[in-house]
Amino acid sequence: MTTIAPKILVIDDDPDFRAAVTAILASASYDVIAADSAAEGKTKILAERPDLILLDIMMDGLFDGFSLCHSVKTSKEFEGVRTTPIIFISAVKDIAGARFGFKGEEQGMADPDDYVDKPVAPADLLARIDRLLKK
Amino acid sequence: MQDPLVLIIDDEESMRDSCSQILLKGRYRVETAPDGTTGLQKIRDLRPDAVIVDLKMPGISGFEVLENLRLIDPRIMAIVVTGYATVESAVEAMKKGAFDFLPKPFTPEELRMILSRALEYRRLALEAERLRREKKLLEDNVITMVSHQLRSPLVAIQQYFEVILADIAGRVEDKPKEMIRRASERLTGLLNLINDWLDLARIDQGRLVGKLKPLDPGKMMRKLVEFMTPLAKEFEVTLEWSGPEGPNFEVLGDEETLEQVFTNLISNAIAYNKPQGRVRIGLRADPDFVVIEVQDTGIGISQDHLPFIFDQFFQVSRREGKKMKGSGLGLSIAKKIVEAHDGRIDASSELGIGSTFTVWIPKVRREAEPV
Repeated sequence: MTTIAPKILVIDDDPDFRAAVTAILASASYDVIAADSAAEGKTKILAERPDLILLDIMMDGLFDGFSLCHSVKTSKEFEGVRTTPIIFISAVKDIAGARFGFKGEEQGMADPDDYVDKPVAPADLLARIDRLLKK
Repeated sequence: MQDPLVLIIDDEESMRDSCSQILLKGRYRVETAPDGTTGLQKIRDLRPDAVIVDLKMPGISGFEVLENLRLIDPRIMAIVVTGYATVESAVEAMKKGAFDFLPKPFTPEELRMILSRALEYRRLALEAERLRREKKLLEDNVITMVSHQLRSPLVAIQQYFEVILADIAGRVEDKPKEMIRRASERLTGLLNLINDWLDLARIDQGRLVGKLKPLDPGKMMRKLVEFMTPLAKEFEVTLEWSGPEGPNFEVLGDEETLEQVFTNLISNAIAYNKPQGRVRIGLRADPDFVVIEVQDTGIGISQDHLPFIFDQFFQVSRREGKKMKGSGLGLSIAKKIVEAHDGRIDASSELGIGSTFTVWIPKVRREAEPV
């Protein structure tokens, strides 16, 4: 029996970060697809049905990540992929909340399943992904 | 934009009528009230731009109307009229927030002029308020933008380093790997510096500390001690925690910035320690405060330096061989955060023996608490 590698979608507007994270994910034998904006991310989520999404909170100066997460978790358009785990990644300290808590609720937005700071420690990221995929 | 709404409060019908006539000619909307109580109710319901109020009325006086008006909305302009004009009553009216004082009898011109000045003043005050709000929103955004723009490229570089150092990008020889490791450390220092500078920018705007909410300091400290244990191991230092087990008391705090304070104190205690040293972290309560102590068996601080350690950029030279990643801003930021919580931070030390940092944070008084 062959197992298909889990597919992870990386949504980030920084091409270097995408390259580095892709290397991390590939080293753990994940299948990686990428998008460079929230708009492209939306399309790829519906088209590719990834098993997990890595989502940059702030792209091109806008907090698109928040609203995309909210859409996936709550809107009718994404009903088929609603349970896809989402991990927020961000270079902007304090915007999404403390290390130990997420402040999106204050704006009435849906929470992601996990949250990591950039730069990510490879082992840490892989552990978090593993934990969410096992659920 | 609607014409300004003016409310006339006077017990004399003739006054109300004649004022209304004058104002309606001048493109104002007019409402009237025959006494203070009705007047105040109309103020609450209609939120006029200006109020013309007679001082001497049966029932509640013009002075009382002024006092209550200020409580309802101090941006509503009040013009006081009276047939018993005295310097004393004029002064008292101004003290109670009246914009101007018009003795009877007055001409239509005089009334219109005073009202026009009052409304112009109001227009400017409201505009200033609006600009202040906009400025704050912009500043919030600027800090976010600067943070993102400064951090993004550095973070991308750091991320590549992490991948290389984790051997994910293929085998790297020891020598270049060591250089990359050192480069990565320097980069971390730079990222920390940026964070510190952003904190300072937020302090300047009085926005470093978020909304204060009730929190359990014991729980927060236990979490921190756990989080800092790996760092302590790296420096061969033991962390000891002594504090109450269950939730005993609460403080009003902003969890994120308080965590920042204690992370800073504990990492200093670890980094400035002697090999096989100890860091004792304790929490206790006195009647009004929660007291948290971070005590180390480190190199200590000389009495000469002690008064200055909470100053910006002050740095004592490091332990041999270990590169600290500080910017010298940590303790000054910590002090500002503690003070924003109405608390106090203090340090005592003996050179060669160790230092103790003590933080006092006011307790939240709960109903059934014994004094």
